[in-house]
Amino acid sequence: MEDGVTATQVVFWILAVVMLISAIGVVTVGNIVYAALFFIASLAGVAGIYLILTVEFIALVQLLIYGSAVVILILFALMLTRARERPQALFGRSRPLGIAAALGLLAALIGGIVATTWTTPESSSAIQPVGLQAIGDAIFTIWIVPFIIVGVLLSIALDGAIMLASPDEDDN
Amino acid sequence: MVLSEFAGVSMPDWIDALLRIMFIVALMTIMAFALIYLERKILARFQARVGPTRTGPIGTLQSIADALKLITKEDVRPITADRWAFELAPYMAFVPVFLVFVPMPFTETWFVRDLNLGLLFVFGVLGLNIVGVVMAAWGSDNKYALLGGVRAAAQAISYEIPMLLIVVALVMVAAGRLAVDGDASAAGSINAIVGDQTTTPYILLQPLGFFIFIVGMLAELHRPPFDMPIAESEVVGGYFVEYSGMRWGMFFLAEYTALFLLVVLASSLFLGGWNWPFGADVGLGLQIVLTFVKTSVLIVLVIGSRALFPRLRIDQLMAFSWKVLLPFSIVQVIANGIILAYGGADWVVGLVSFALLAALGGLVFYIMRRKQGEGTRTVQTTPATPRVITAPEVTPVEAGGD
Repeated sequence: MEDGVTATQVVFWILAVVMLISAIGVVTVGNIVYAALFFIASLAGVAGIYLILTVEFIALVQLLIYGSAVVILILFALMLTRARERPQALFGRSRPLGIAAALGLLAALIGGIVATTWTTPESSSAIQPVGLQAIGDAIFTIWIVPFIIVGVLLSIALDGAIMLASPDEDDN
Repeated sequence: MVLSEFAGVSMPDWIDALLRIMFIVALMTIMAFALIYLERKILARFQARVGPTRTGPIGTLQSIADALKLITKEDVRPITADRWAFELAPYMAFVPVFLVFVPMPFTETWFVRDLNLGLLFVFGVLGLNIVGVVMAAWGSDNKYALLGGVRAAAQAISYEIPMLLIVVALVMVAAGRLAVDGDASAAGSINAIVGDQTTTPYILLQPLGFFIFIVGMLAELHRPPFDMPIAESEVVGGYFVEYSGMRWGMFFLAEYTALFLLVVLASSLFLGGWNWPFGADVGLGLQIVLTFVKTSVLIVLVIGSRALFPRLRIDQLMAFSWKVLLPFSIVQVIANGIILAYGGADWVVGLVSFALLAALGGLVFYIMRRKQGEGTRTVQTTPATPRVITAPEVTPVEAGGD
């Protein structure tokens, strides 16, 4: 395992290439449904990376959440745009703004990666996989307040969506 | 575990994996053939017919003949269809279902892999199936396909939520019981859940869970009475209307495989899987037979519901999920949490769940009776349930006659 190319590395590079190609695809294809499909390929690649890191729980949650989310995204794309009739314009007036935001995010990420002191475990056996129970304990004890805040936030968004979508009572 | 035990030799990992995959594919195909034949026979009996009789003894080779026809049929792609989405959609619908085989326990030692998060794996992977459906619907460039696909997406997302919540409630009970032996964190593994049901099948502890699981299963599988996405009389087959030949066959195979797998899952979670009922182990070691007997009972139930119940309307379907099933499953999770936190006995859990199920049944009965007596609903398109048509239509006709 220690010398040469391990199977994990091969899988990692395959996943990395898939992720990168599909991530580039998301922002470069003109067809919005294709973009959504590339998006799920990219997210599936991320789930694969999580599997390599032996955090199966996060990998499965990634699939569970984003699988449905991308379907909803496609539905929005179908309902709100005319994706089939003409390709979407990739660049608009806000192009410089977008470039600035992307470069800023890139700089922040690179800065974060460089600033972190990475500890390398001596061997792969030193890495203990985090159990499901540990995650549950952490969410429901230490991080209970952020958890509740996120829950309230999501309920507010959901209520707002229902308010906007429901027809007025006196319309009919 | 399966193959190395059979062969009795150690083999490289990749050969082992390959053999497991081949085993899955073979089993899946045989099960789909058997299910299609069974469905045609059982439905025929319900409708006072005899079903397939000509091909092979009592028609048993009918599915093989159908498969041969599908393979040799021309694979047509509409000229306006989106090439990539159209051609890739069957695989996208098929592969997730295929993967769900991995954590399914057929006996105590026969499974592909015992995943510690098996339940989450099943739902996480099976949920991706709908991406293929939406791809097919959009890629076909057909109004009926798109309508069917949008219905399927709405339905899948709505019924996934009560189903997942009720599984959470079940895992809570399982974790409480497994914690007695010391390892509550194993409750995500389907094998551990089945292993805990030697004396008490979970249907006694979670009858409401069983009901919601079966209803959600029918909806996820687009089985009647929840078959609006593929309703022939409404959307002429739905998202696979433009498919022909083997690509259509792949959708069909995925559908029947998903039916088989979810039924196996239901029998593992609620009926005790490979266990003899109530711990009456007579020591015959017929675990595989027990699994298939329980599975078959559920399959007959599912197929029978196709003949027995009329199709719902799409709004009735959504309302039933969001207004009835979801609140009840949330109440079940909270109730289980309270009972288990205060160390309630098993019979308390079962009694509360049964009371909730009775309340749900009463509510549905009340709603149906009220709708029946109301008489204000106008019948717009397809008559959804017979009882809606009877009373209301009389009044306007009489008024017009005068």
